[in-house]
Amino acid sequence: MSGILDGIRVLELGGHVAAPFCAKLLADYGADVIKIEPPHSGDAARDAGPFVGDDPHPDKSIPFLYRNTNKRGITLNVATSAGGAILARLLESADVVVQNFPPGQLPAPMLEPAGLVDGYPGLIATCITPFGLTGPYRDFAATDIVVCAMSGLMYHSGDSDREPLRNALAQSFYTAGINGAVATTAALFQRLATGRGQYIDVSAVECLASHLVQAVPYYSYMGAIKGRRPVRGSGFEELMPARDGYVIPSVQGSQPWGTIADLIGLDALHDPRFASGSGRIEFGEELYELLIQGLSEWDRKPLFQASGERRLVFGMAQDAGDLYECPQLRERDFFASVTHPVAGTADYPGMGPKLSGLEYEARRPAPLLGQHNTEIYCDELGYSAQELTQLRASGTI
Amino acid sequence: MNTLPLQGIRVVDLSRVFAMPYCGAYLADLGAEVIKVDTHHNQFVDTTRTLNGPYPDNDPGELYWERGGTFNTLNRGKLSVTLDLRSDAALGVLRRLVAVSDVLLENFTPRVMRRFGLSYPDLKAVKPDLIMVSNTGYGHSGPWSSFGAMATALEPTHGTAAFMGYLDVDDSGRSSPGSVPNKIANSYTDFLASWTAQLAVLASLLHRAQTGQGTWIDLAMYQVGVSFVGEGLLDYAYNGRRTRRIGNRHETWSPHGCYPCAGADEWVVIAARDDAEWRQVCAAMDAPELADNPDYSDVITRHQNQDGLDKIISRWTVGKSQYEVMRLLQQRGVPAGPVLDGKGLLSDPQLRSRRFFETVEHPAETGLGRREYIGRGWKMSDNDVSIRKPAPLLGEDNRYVLSDVLGLAQSEITELENGNAVGRTLEGARTPGAVPLERQVELGWTVRYDADYRT
Repeated sequence: MSGILDGIRVLELGGHVAAPFCAKLLADYGADVIKIEPPHSGDAARDAGPFVGDDPHPDKSIPFLYRNTNKRGITLNVATSAGGAILARLLESADVVVQNFPPGQLPAPMLEPAGLVDGYPGLIATCITPFGLTGPYRDFAATDIVVCAMSGLMYHSGDSDREPLRNALAQSFYTAGINGAVATTAALFQRLATGRGQYIDVSAVECLASHLVQAVPYYSYMGAIKGRRPVRGSGFEELMPARDGYVIPSVQGSQPWGTIADLIGLDALHDPRFASGSGRIEFGEELYELLIQGLSEWDRKPLFQASGERRLVFGMAQDAGDLYECPQLRERDFFASVTHPVAGTADYPGMGPKLSGLEYEARRPAPLLGQHNTEIYCDELGYSAQELTQLRASGTI
Repeated sequence: MNTLPLQGIRVVDLSRVFAMPYCGAYLADLGAEVIKVDTHHNQFVDTTRTLNGPYPDNDPGELYWERGGTFNTLNRGKLSVTLDLRSDAALGVLRRLVAVSDVLLENFTPRVMRRFGLSYPDLKAVKPDLIMVSNTGYGHSGPWSSFGAMATALEPTHGTAAFMGYLDVDDSGRSSPGSVPNKIANSYTDFLASWTAQLAVLASLLHRAQTGQGTWIDLAMYQVGVSFVGEGLLDYAYNGRRTRRIGNRHETWSPHGCYPCAGADEWVVIAARDDAEWRQVCAAMDAPELADNPDYSDVITRHQNQDGLDKIISRWTVGKSQYEVMRLLQQRGVPAGPVLDGKGLLSDPQLRSRRFFETVEHPAETGLGRREYIGRGWKMSDNDVSIRKPAPLLGEDNRYVLSDVLGLAQSEITELENGNAVGRTLEGARTPGAVPLERQVELGWTVRYDADYRT
């Protein structure tokens, strides 16, 4: 089965999260992605834990393994003249180049985005950076927590009476990666009509800030600052303890309060004072205590199941183990078994959406460092075995 | 400037609330003609027209359904046609509209779309190469497929809360990994779904241009959310670890955290990635001797002594503004930045310099005047992608859609009007109450407010 981006060739340079995740999404949709890593060191994510078996080995980094499935990998020192010449040949057959070097830290001048577009007609050059390629913060240093803070996401995460809380697992650069893939695909579509390529300037801060569709108009419409949860007195839409973990007993959905009181099964919850939204706010403290009491009789999963069957929209806190056992994900074939020659076999999380005519395939595990050098340099670019040996000896690959 | 990427593409947007409407808005920014299928019957109207606000100066006003700031963010650039889908005539019109469109966005439960005869197989019969996004909580297959969902309840369900949470602190002040999950605020999952839908639609348009084939995108928000914490799941698959909750700290770097500043609820984050950056933090704090203190001189000791280290840094930050701490550290190359709220974003020099917010002039009858809206996270060198018009008034484009796009005869339009299937005034609703801002502060809905925010 072919993917819907079949025939699109992508070069990926950079490392860590944003460019690799952007390229992984394109690869999952069927694009031919060639990951270019510096010789010896490779993508810096190879040094990031956790590692398989807690063994800090460059082919056992779990974040690296996840973000790089379905790609081929080569090594190339693009900063040397020989390396630059090889990169130029690779660019001739590429539709897209995705990179996330910080501005001013390109390893080769030829990777400058406007120059790439001029030099390779039709090429889409996607540059993902923390703050974008322009503006006073362009050269600022940033990590995930800095992007989460400066995008407004972090201010709204955590509890209102404590400090803002860091978000899960490098979300800022994952969201920058998918936004980069969106703009890249839009440019590929436009190229069908114009024949022209272009470059794309992705700001991780702006990608994440674009989701604040409530906090921003709160200020631009009425001068108000929206804060963190929980909203005092509401007693809802926050994580509350059940017997074996945490649940969210939401009042949203179209069911009357009595349905919720029935489900939780505590008679005192049927008090008419709680039947209206304003009553639940006014008597919020009392309601909160009753909910804690009612929920303490429930385990998470039966409560979640019962709420769904009654057309309520409760949630529950699930950990990684719960998700692997989840009947919904299993039924939808979300996981795909991947065998990696060093890391071993595991079920990998697959694609978010299901597309008609596209079965998600984990076609390849994340590449070993330089795994496809022979395939790409010799079989596709036509270098001889002897030349390959020379390139390796000179440190070019 | 060039034509826009999606010039000539028509999108029918049947969706409600956040995720898919915002996808439609971005397709409109990219140049598509996006027709929002609205209704003037309150029980079926998009609830962001009536429930979300915020209203200008906290005043819903008579035309409140045109005045919500969140609605106007999520629906900018679209046209609006009202169709009461309980009417067979209106359903027929919708099918005709799909037949002359390229993309359909919807987020009803599978049951509703089947009942209306609007499932993908039904619509493929009228538009063989249709690209359709069906966005649901859990997907169109599987044991949970009939369950409703909302982002706030989905976030912990799809695993983000397993990887977020404050540290536990014992009586002696020593911290340890957190036992209580926490969650990303602000309906985060909706936006993961929105971005995922944008990518799937654009990739499908590319595929259709090359093969002539349409695509049905069965988009489960739950499954999308799981794919964004995939590296956490893989740690379980390989190592059996289920969670990781370390507050604002980092697995390897130190110091790393969120520190108090001079103002109320004012915070700054700092991340030192190696010993060299730690030395720069010490220099910025005017405490160079700290760098050689054996309690903090390498990353292992700094990790062991983070509770004390965080206290030292907090004593330094607490007298300063968040921007001052950022400047002092960034000029030394250390990652640091302010924790910005909505007001802070709107005035941030970087976002202003890049024109992240775009100004939209609303029609006079809304009383909104000119307002700023969130743009996009990316810029294209060959296109001036931008917000092209304000969100539509209810039914604003009824005549254009029914007459110009579909070529309905005047008699057919009159029949729809007589059957109350189309209309421009919301029926069956009452004006939402506005909780005074002082009361909102008491309730914790807002932190504070500036009465003079527009000056």
